Amino acid sequence: MIKAMPTVLATLLAHYRRHPGQLAMLLLGLWVASALWSGIQAINATARDSYARADAMFDTQLDQLERRDGAPLSRADYHALRQAGLPVSPILEGDIVTQDGTRLTLIGIDPLTLPSGNPLAQTDTSASLTDFLTPPWQTRVAPDTLAALGVERADASGARPDLANGNRLPPLELASALPPNTLMMDMAAAARLLESGEYLTRIVTAPNALSEPPAGLTLTRATSLASPGQLTESFHLNLTALGLLALVVGLFIVQAALGLALEQRLGMLRTLRVLGVSGRTLIVALSLELILLGIIGALAGIASGVWLARMLLPDVAATLGSLYGAGVGQELNLPWHYWMGGLAVSLGGLLLAGSGVLWRAAHLNMLELGQLQTWRSGYRRQLTLMSIGGAIAMGAALALYGWLSFHPPGQGLVAGFGMVAALLLASALWLPPFLALVLKGLTHLARRRPLIHWAMADMQLQLPRLSLAMMALLVALATNLGVSSMVGGFRITFLDWLDQRLVAPLYLNAPSEQYDDIDAWLAEQPEVFERLLTRRSEATLQTAGTAGDTRPVGTPIELYGITPGESLTPHWPLLATQQDRSSAWAAFNDGAVFVNEQLATAVNLAPGDQVDVSTPGTRETLVIAAVYPDYGNPNGQILMASPQLATRFDAPTSSIGIVLHEGADEDALRAALGDRFGLGRDALTDQGEIKRIATEIFERTFTITRALNVLTLVVAALALLASLLAQARSRRQQLAPLWALGVPRAQLARLNLAQLGGAALFTGLLAVPLGIAITWGLVDIINVAAFGWRLPLYLFPGEMAIILTTAVVVALIAAALPALRFWRASPRTLLAEEANQ
Amino acid sequence: MLELHQVHKTYATPQGPLSVLKDVTLALGPGQSMALMGESGSGKSTLLHLAAGLDLPDQGVITLAGQNVASLPESARAKLRREQLGLVFQQFHLVPSLSVIDNLRLQARLANRDDAEWTSYLIERLGLSGLERRYPEQLSGGQQQRLAIGRALAPRPPLLLADEPTGNLDETTAGEVLELLLSLVRETQCALLVVTHSPQVAAPLDRCLRLRHGQLINTAL
Repeated sequence: MIKAMPTVLATLLAHYRRHPGQLAMLLLGLWVASALWSGIQAINATARDSYARADAMFDTQLDQLERRDGAPLSRADYHALRQAGLPVSPILEGDIVTQDGTRLTLIGIDPLTLPSGNPLAQTDTSASLTDFLTPPWQTRVAPDTLAALGVERADASGARPDLANGNRLPPLELASALPPNTLMMDMAAAARLLESGEYLTRIVTAPNALSEPPAGLTLTRATSLASPGQLTESFHLNLTALGLLALVVGLFIVQAALGLALEQRLGMLRTLRVLGVSGRTLIVALSLELILLGIIGALAGIASGVWLARMLLPDVAATLGSLYGAGVGQELNLPWHYWMGGLAVSLGGLLLAGSGVLWRAAHLNMLELGQLQTWRSGYRRQLTLMSIGGAIAMGAALALYGWLSFHPPGQGLVAGFGMVAALLLASALWLPPFLALVLKGLTHLARRRPLIHWAMADMQLQLPRLSLAMMALLVALATNLGVSSMVGGFRITFLDWLDQRLVAPLYLNAPSEQYDDIDAWLAEQPEVFERLLTRRSEATLQTAGTAGDTRPVGTPIELYGITPGESLTPHWPLLATQQDRSSAWAAFNDGAVFVNEQLATAVNLAPGDQVDVSTPGTRETLVIAAVYPDYGNPNGQILMASPQLATRFDAPTSSIGIVLHEGADEDALRAALGDRFGLGRDALTDQGEIKRIATEIFERTFTITRALNVLTLVVAALALLASLLAQARSRRQQLAPLWALGVPRAQLARLNLAQLGGAALFTGLLAVPLGIAITWGLVDIINVAAFGWRLPLYLFPGEMAIILTTAVVVALIAAALPALRFWRASPRTLLAEEANQ
Repeated sequence: MLELHQVHKTYATPQGPLSVLKDVTLALGPGQSMALMGESGSGKSTLLHLAAGLDLPDQGVITLAGQNVASLPESARAKLRREQLGLVFQQFHLVPSLSVIDNLRLQARLANRDDAEWTSYLIERLGLSGLERRYPEQLSGGQQQRLAIGRALAPRPPLLLADEPTGNLDETTAGEVLELLLSLVRETQCALLVVTHSPQVAAPLDRCLRLRHGQLINTAL
């Protein structure tokens, strides 16, 4: 039978010569499914590569030492430790600014003392260690950082780019293991460029090389430090979930196209069987056909996916940077397993989608085509199975919800996604039985209106072939509504929050040594109503808990000082207080602190708890008076009154918000400030500008989410179109007798549109509560687990109306083509189809 | 009831125009029956489709129930079919989504002539009692064709057009179905035009016409 295979395969493929549209639909399904999936996987792979390179750095691979008294580490501390025989190594870290204004991280290391096995000690440069250690030294840099330095890859080796401050980097040497936007060089060269003098940023040691911290120092284990990969896990899980959704919806198209191709080739298959082709040969031939088409579609999809990823990567990198502070390269970096994985997932999905077709072909009755009767009872069984499957999925969703209720709010990211997925699955599985039930009821109700009665009964008959597409539409619509409501709610919350936080019309950022003079001058200006000084300092949260029961934490945090007063206090949002707002503010003025929501969630803090915070030189115990929202901040933050922060932690002023009396001349004050202190145009920023920038960042953050959302909906529309085209021919055969009995074609075409539009509207109506449930899952569970903050649940009737309209429009567009073909078919064609039925 | 006057019909084919009917003239009065015989491709079915207003002639006039079919818009032709015609096809063309009883009443309902008593009588005459809730695919071929005949006669149309009504049935069943068809036609007193290959089907009818290459070649039985 192997000899017959080429003939069988050629016979099967000949079908597509007569029906090129079907082939196009099949390839389109495969293409969009694998394009979206592989695009997202390309983004994930590139981001993971960046994380892996960042993980290889010191932060997460090495134990870190700090001074117990909080003072900055110095070379003397390091030498003392080395003289004591401890295997420690110094690290110097700071920012430099390139000529195009890009801020890059500069890391100084001592390769001779860096623990062996650390990937940084083994960068792939071919240059000798001597070149690295001796003048003019070397700047090791990853290829994807070269653009920021204004250097072409071909010219990179040995190039010496200038920095914004006029300094010159040591000659460049490529080291692809480095994370993006990071430069690495010898300590001595780095100290010179960073002008760090005797100070060190940290002292590191190999993991577990020290069993306990040396005297006067604290030891932070590598395992307690979160890597970018961990931090961004939720973002990539979110992307993967959307990619999977697109893949599944795309495979619905494939399934519909394959179903159509089988339907139209049943006669051919039967003839082949009658002519002596065995069932097994037929299945092998069909499988070969699937694999052949699958490879073509998957390769096209992967190529488009890479293009899509290239388009989306800058926004994704911006999102990851602004949300998590994680650096992601702007160039795709795809390992070999990405390509193989993309091909495997596409082919696997195709075989899954085609398994039904293969099964039907394997069970083909040679003597008669699939009878409606067996098919009708088969579909009833299928509906029962779907109901049971839906109940199991709903049970799983409820179980996960139960599990999540008994765990702290910050936990259960995967469980949260699992719950939403189970809810979507349950709803999708329940849709066809529910639609069947409703149609049955409507058929009964419409028994006195013959055409409506027929339309309802006919819809029941169409349901099996439409159900997959309707399920895809439900899932896409609900996800779309859920995600857009979450983003919309986030936008409202974020903008409100900006309004509450940015109360001053002007914000001043000046050189730190000028703040005292500027503040004193401002105090004398009659048009200035209030000066809102802010201060910042990096710190470590050492312990947390209640007065008698503290637990070690060891998390880096930010101390932020604000100036409570008439302008700020009434507007600053608080989420939780021990008593009420006024008591919380009173305590705040007396030295208590507020913590942001993400820190409260991560460390399980509540008003009334106390925390032990250290900065170089200081260690203080602080009492928490309230928890406040801090959207968009990836870090834990403790808020203090600015004077308290200055006194207790010696934090410098970082900006001054200037509130003016009503009617005061803002421009005159700007000019006066500029003249008096020689401040540049950039030193003063107005509130509107800050809001514009913040809103821009916000919008960019959700670009990829929105893009994927729309693409998934487009794929769902294509799935519906594919299903309708798949049954267009048999539909015409069913409509032709009615036309012959005297129902005008226009009326039949309208009925056809109404049937589909009605089914889509019904699906859209079901998508609304499901979308609300998804929004709730996103804002109340997934968001808290992913980012540490909870958003209020906002519902948007306008969005719901758009979703319903989209559902109907998508269905009408998808139904229009078959309806148009029916409308334009000549009576003779219809009769010919009728006769050939 | 039905008149065709100098009717011509040509179809465009890749090989050039194909003349299917040439100068066909015939008339069928109320209550009369007529068989239209001829070889495959002789134009029988085309003539039936033109008579039913399913297709339009290139030349000539077709008058059905006093109206010139070709001059009517499609909606009016559809109305004419609903109210004046019953159609029986060789392939039955029952609506698979409707039960036996709903299929039977479909055209009567469309024509606003649903008569429960007549429907019950038809069910009994058609031998479909007890099968009302079944679906078409759950019936035998003979039962399906009987149901198709019942559907066509349910609105008591003045004219019944049948295209090879027994062509898909075995000899015994064909005989039974034909007998039932003629008996019900007599009861309803409608005119009947049957397209057939079979002399047995043509024999009991009032007249028989033969088509060859699109032309009527004799009018004798």
